[in-house]
Amino acid sequence: MRIAKHPILGEYEKGRKVKFYFDGKEMEGYEDEPIAAALRAAGVTTHRHTRRNGRPRGIFCAIGRCTDCVMVVDGEINVRTCITPLKEGMRVQTQYGLSAKEGTEE
Amino acid sequence: MKRYDLIVIGAGPAGLSAAIEGAKAGMRTALFDENEKPGGQLFKQIHKFFGSKEHKAKIRGINIGGELLKEAETAGVEVHLSSTVIGIYPEKCISVNRGDHIENYRAEAIIVATGAAERMIPFKGWDLPGVLGAGAAQTMMNLHGVMPGNKIVMMGTGNVGLVVSFQLLQAGCQVEALIDAAPRVGGYGVHAAKVARTGVPFYLSHTIVEAKGTDHVESVVIGQVDEKFRIIPGTEKEMEADTVCVAVGLNPMSQLVRMTGCEMKEVGGLVPACDEYGATSIPGIFAAGDVSGIEEASSAMIEGHITGLAAAKYAGWIEEDTFKTQVEERTASLEKLRQGMFAPQNKGKKIEKTDEGLPVSASLLERGYMDANEMETYPGVVKKEGVHPVIECSQNIPCDPCQEACPFGCIKVGERITDLPAVTEDSVCKNCGACVAACPGQAIFLVNEDEDGTYGTVTLPYEFLPLPQAGDRGKGLDRSGRPVCDAEVVKVQDTNAFDKTAVLTMRVPREYAMTARFFKKEV
Repeated sequence: MRIAKHPILGEYEKGRKVKFYFDGKEMEGYEDEPIAAALRAAGVTTHRHTRRNGRPRGIFCAIGRCTDCVMVVDGEINVRTCITPLKEGMRVQTQYGLSAKEGTEE
Repeated sequence: MKRYDLIVIGAGPAGLSAAIEGAKAGMRTALFDENEKPGGQLFKQIHKFFGSKEHKAKIRGINIGGELLKEAETAGVEVHLSSTVIGIYPEKCISVNRGDHIENYRAEAIIVATGAAERMIPFKGWDLPGVLGAGAAQTMMNLHGVMPGNKIVMMGTGNVGLVVSFQLLQAGCQVEALIDAAPRVGGYGVHAAKVARTGVPFYLSHTIVEAKGTDHVESVVIGQVDEKFRIIPGTEKEMEADTVCVAVGLNPMSQLVRMTGCEMKEVGGLVPACDEYGATSIPGIFAAGDVSGIEEASSAMIEGHITGLAAAKYAGWIEEDTFKTQVEERTASLEKLRQGMFAPQNKGKKIEKTDEGLPVSASLLERGYMDANEMETYPGVVKKEGVHPVIECSQNIPCDPCQEACPFGCIKVGERITDLPAVTEDSVCKNCGACVAACPGQAIFLVNEDEDGTYGTVTLPYEFLPLPQAGDRGKGLDRSGRPVCDAEVVKVQDTNAFDKTAVLTMRVPREYAMTARFFKKEV
């Protein structure tokens, strides 16, 4: 899902490759790219489940405005993953309602 | 509380331009932006801009962004990033959230250039992962190098929908369809045509009934709508797709400027009522760019310059005379952009004739491409012996780089930059390809209708990878993207001067020289 080479932009400037964890699973991304970009490239599209109805949500505006892509990052809830830079060893978790624990949507 | 002479909020095209003018006038200027990087949406605009040379036409938005940043630095603008302005208070004070603390600032004048946000139309399944804004898709692919999806349905045929569709194709995505509830394509015909010729179907008078899927979009149901935008039962059609991009317009982000208590008005969203220089009803508070009315980045930059000058004059940093001369020039430049069929005053109007009195192509508006038999209606399409430019430009849009690109005087736009380009009668085309690469609408082709009695050649703009090579064989596609004939690439020019628009020449049976407009390699 990454664009290897772009006809106008050529090669993308990226930080070094880093490891991070998505729901406990080890994944790779580039340092300082948005967490959401690393997840999308790895095929993860559901970032959270809504509080009342448990509906899945993912990237929607990609510029930090809509808050649809919030997740639990290093234990902190409601982190906008589309504008938060990825760091080595980050623990990223799907957010259920306002927690990282499934079944807590209500 | 820290003091500045001028505070500008928003480091997009308007804010940067405004801050540059303030700093040039000698004002201590601070520019605040909530993002990590300046430039607003400019760095996602990888296409060549329209307009005239003075509007930086035929330069890609991304490069214009780079130039503006340099200019701001040279002028001495203090840029504060990751700094969200959370309030404007009386006496021109602002509060800024710097992440872990709040800071307060004060200035002689404040310019609000907060831009706009994407609009949304709800449909069943709109909240599923895979449904996202067209601007969001642009951010993912052009800034972060990640494809937003594989099979995309684009909703909206305004310029954003059309331009982003083309960029999705450039990123390697498949665009399954362009959908619009309106009966006519909303954006520039040339933007539509360059998407259509790659084979993307347009569905006008259609809307999305539902995005289906459990955890992600798996398919999209579209349906035809009647004149009251109600779905006509029985017209539903399901297509496989994993992504829906929504491009249904922008809303001015005027919440912040509204805090000043300035007078507001409703013009395609709530905007501050400003005078011609961007002054709101509150003395010393100004607005520029999309926050004061949605337009293009090119006009936002000029508005920014004008407003920067107005703020400098208000605070006593430039004399009345200097202000007048400089503003006059900028205003004249802005006026040029606000002409033609897509000018703000023509919004929503159905235009049936060009300024030249020629009929507007119905096929272009309804299907995204012009019909072969409409071509000769327009002054850019003439029959000539040998190689000659064929300019498939049929709408009055503010743009004239073609005229300047041709060193041999083959192309003439005329008095106003919105006039349709014409191929001059006694000129001789040297087949250099400069016009093909320069046209921001990718609407110019060099055609030899009869090379040797059997074949003709078509030279076309090509901005995709992999770039075909001389000797490659494949199909010539017509304006709708349908394969119509065999084609062989005879030449590919990809010079620095063409700025990443490769110019590809293909040989086709001569009867297809006026039909084939795209090349698809055989795989």
